[in-house]
Amino acid sequence: MQIEKFSYDNKIVRNFGIATLVWGITGMTVGLLAAIQLFWPFMNFETQYTTFGRIRPIHTNGVIFAFVGNAIFMSVYYSMQRLLKARMYSDFLSKVHFWGWQSIIVASIITLAMGFTSSHEYAEMEWPIDIAVVVVWVIFGINMFGTIIKRRERHMYVAIWFYIATFVTVAVLYIVNSVQLPVSGWKSYYIYAGVQDALVQWWYGHNAVAFFLTTPFLGMMYYFLPKMANRPIYSYKLSILHFWSLIFIYIWAGPHHLLYTALPEWVQNLGVVFSIMLIAPSWGGMINGLLTLRGAWDKVRSEPMLKFMVVALTCYGMATFEGPMLALKQVNAIAHFTDWIVAHVHVGALGWNGFMVFGILYWLIPRIYNTTLYSKKLSSIHFWLGTLGILFYAIPLYWAAVVQGLMWKEFTPEGTLKYGNFLTTVLQILPMYMMRAVGGALYLSGVIIMAFNLVKTMKQGKLIANEYAEAMSLEPTIVKERGIHRRLERKPVLFMVLALIAILIGGMVEMMPTFMISSNVPTIASVKPYTPLEIQGRDIYIREGCMGCHTQMIRPFRSETARYGEYSKAGEYVYDYTYLWGSKRTGPDLHRIGQKYPNKWHYDHMLDPTITSPGSIMPAYPWLLTQDLDYASTPGKIRALTILGVPYTTDYADKSIEEARRQADLIVKDLEANQVKTDSDKEIIALIAYLQRLGTDIKVNADTK
Amino acid sequence: MFKQITNLNGDERYLIFSLLMFLAFFIIVGIMLFRMKKDYAEQMSQMPLEEDNEINKMDTENL
Ligand code: HEC
Repeated sequence: MQIEKFSYDNKIVRNFGIATLVWGITGMTVGLLAAIQLFWPFMNFETQYTTFGRIRPIHTNGVIFAFVGNAIFMSVYYSMQRLLKARMYSDFLSKVHFWGWQSIIVASIITLAMGFTSSHEYAEMEWPIDIAVVVVWVIFGINMFGTIIKRRERHMYVAIWFYIATFVTVAVLYIVNSVQLPVSGWKSYYIYAGVQDALVQWWYGHNAVAFFLTTPFLGMMYYFLPKMANRPIYSYKLSILHFWSLIFIYIWAGPHHLLYTALPEWVQNLGVVFSIMLIAPSWGGMINGLLTLRGAWDKVRSEPMLKFMVVALTCYGMATFEGPMLALKQVNAIAHFTDWIVAHVHVGALGWNGFMVFGILYWLIPRIYNTTLYSKKLSSIHFWLGTLGILFYAIPLYWAAVVQGLMWKEFTPEGTLKYGNFLTTVLQILPMYMMRAVGGALYLSGVIIMAFNLVKTMKQGKLIANEYAEAMSLEPTIVKERGIHRRLERKPVLFMVLALIAILIGGMVEMMPTFMISSNVPTIASVKPYTPLEIQGRDIYIREGCMGCHTQMIRPFRSETARYGEYSKAGEYVYDYTYLWGSKRTGPDLHRIGQKYPNKWHYDHMLDPTITSPGSIMPAYPWLLTQDLDYASTPGKIRALTILGVPYTTDYADKSIEEARRQADLIVKDLEANQVKTDSDKEIIALIAYLQRLGTDIKVNADTK
Repeated sequence: MFKQITNLNGDERYLIFSLLMFLAFFIIVGIMLFRMKKDYAEQMSQMPLEEDNEINKMDTENL
């Protein structure tokens, strides 16, 4: 054994830190804009690039993958080097990782604004970006495992296991959820349809929360909280127990996003049971964190960064209690599709993720700049602005959700819906939407103050780019250690494989039967594939992000069937490449909108929703009336869908343009008869064709019976 | 609430199977923890606190 001298790479940590600040402010600003558009639709400036449906994914991906993502990398690169007593495996890979990730973010913002989206929530980016994400993620993984392999510390601390689990699981989730068939440079179809697609998407979506917003943050907590409080974690054994239970259980809970939908019932129930069990490991982590601070509460009172950590842990506890509650079917029946879910995720995102990132930044930046924080006072102001911001954000939305959820379900004594006009229930909650925007603005202003404070801190110090360190070199072990987990903690690859197995079990048990057993998705004879024009209209619906406000899933409740019509069946979606069930009803469900209104109604409504629905907060889509439809892309799309299994006849693709034009001419003729002058080349015609088709296959069935 | 879990027209086998699997998994982790030495756990939890010393504050350029 000999002492080796080496250095830690702080520059990469700093770079990820700056990226965290930049993208945090960007992503939150876009979120604020979206929040304002919900009561002042004109704030979308009536351009397609800033309309709600397109900026919503920019906001969600921006805060999750750009803000939180960079914060994770910053924290992992800092803590891993020190816990393993080694510099990152390769400076070059670190740089490629950093610049690769930033380029992906820029490319995502541009393409999402242009409407290139696959519509899978939290994975909207189109296939070229998906590939880039996987490549950069693998580079991160190589760099991480390289460092683990050349480490000078035999045993891996709990933070490292959380990082390893994060790495493997995110890789598996992202790849499975992104299997697409490209149609052109920026358009593709997922290979799954309908129910299966929904299951894959929420298996991914839920576990993005688990393995991007939770496990890395628990790892970060286990490193930075002891550092800040200067005492070890409360219980190391508890950390092991909650680590394994958490990663095992989390993966099963995805279907709780699809309760009362057309998903097979046993899958739904599996999701419910495992969601409830999830409280235990989640609270295990929270309690372990809070108890670490026992005896250090005087420090909490005087140190804003510890205050951030305490609120972060509290919000984690609240969100992970609320999650299982929302998974109970009775609660879900009321809360689902309302703003409750939006409030729920923001308690997690603003409280748990945001506050922990702020706490770490306040601790870390002065350290690597070998100085003290520029102003503790400002960080304290930031803390209170942020806390107020969360309260002003969440409470009005909970209120809005209860008010609107109850209004949707209220019947008159005569047995008709009391608020038959959906818009009435929207207008009722607009004041709450305004308060929410105030909350968001408060939170954002806190972040801007922090950025100022940290920039000043950097200016007054000097970056220790390569921090000197020394440690004993690691000799190969000769003696066999007692204790299974102890041995495991020095075998990173085996550890990764075990973690992988733990997370694969849940996914397989849920998905295999749904994919393999045909009885799980009963087919309906009258459900036919979309026509070429309807496919084009559907792709416009996807491009404009209509599913950000509209669902296509009528649940089997009296209040829903009375409002929207017959409830939705699994067999109705078999040709839906990608499913468009949506997750939030800012506007009414559209699954049975077909034939509800004349074509002219839709034409006027899309030109300006307030023509048909005074006071509507739906954005106007005037560009659909002037932009030309890309008819030439039709055969390619039909061919791709045929490959995926839609039963079009063999030469259908070749005559699909002709077919589309024929259908378009009919709609144009009908519009003309109603004093609307347009021509069949416009995009609006395709969208109308699609909307008029929605949900009608089953209506036909009912008529003929 | 329990009716949700038991009334599944024969599909409860998936659920019971899944729960049993978790139980087995949980027991294995439990045994591992039970057999873990206390001083080892102590030593592991000290890890993040270890590397703080004066030397760390230096940039290699200044050496
Ligand atoms: C910001 C949220 C939002 C977005 C985005 C949005 N809508 Fe709406 N939509 C609403 C609201 C609110 C209503 C109810 C008031 C109204 O009729 O305008 C509505 C109503 C509708 C209706 C009438 C439903 C009925 O049963 O009366 C249709 C059709 C519709 N939207 C289609 C679309 C399409 C197509 C898109 C995408 C191009 C879209 N919406 C995007 C919020 C939205």
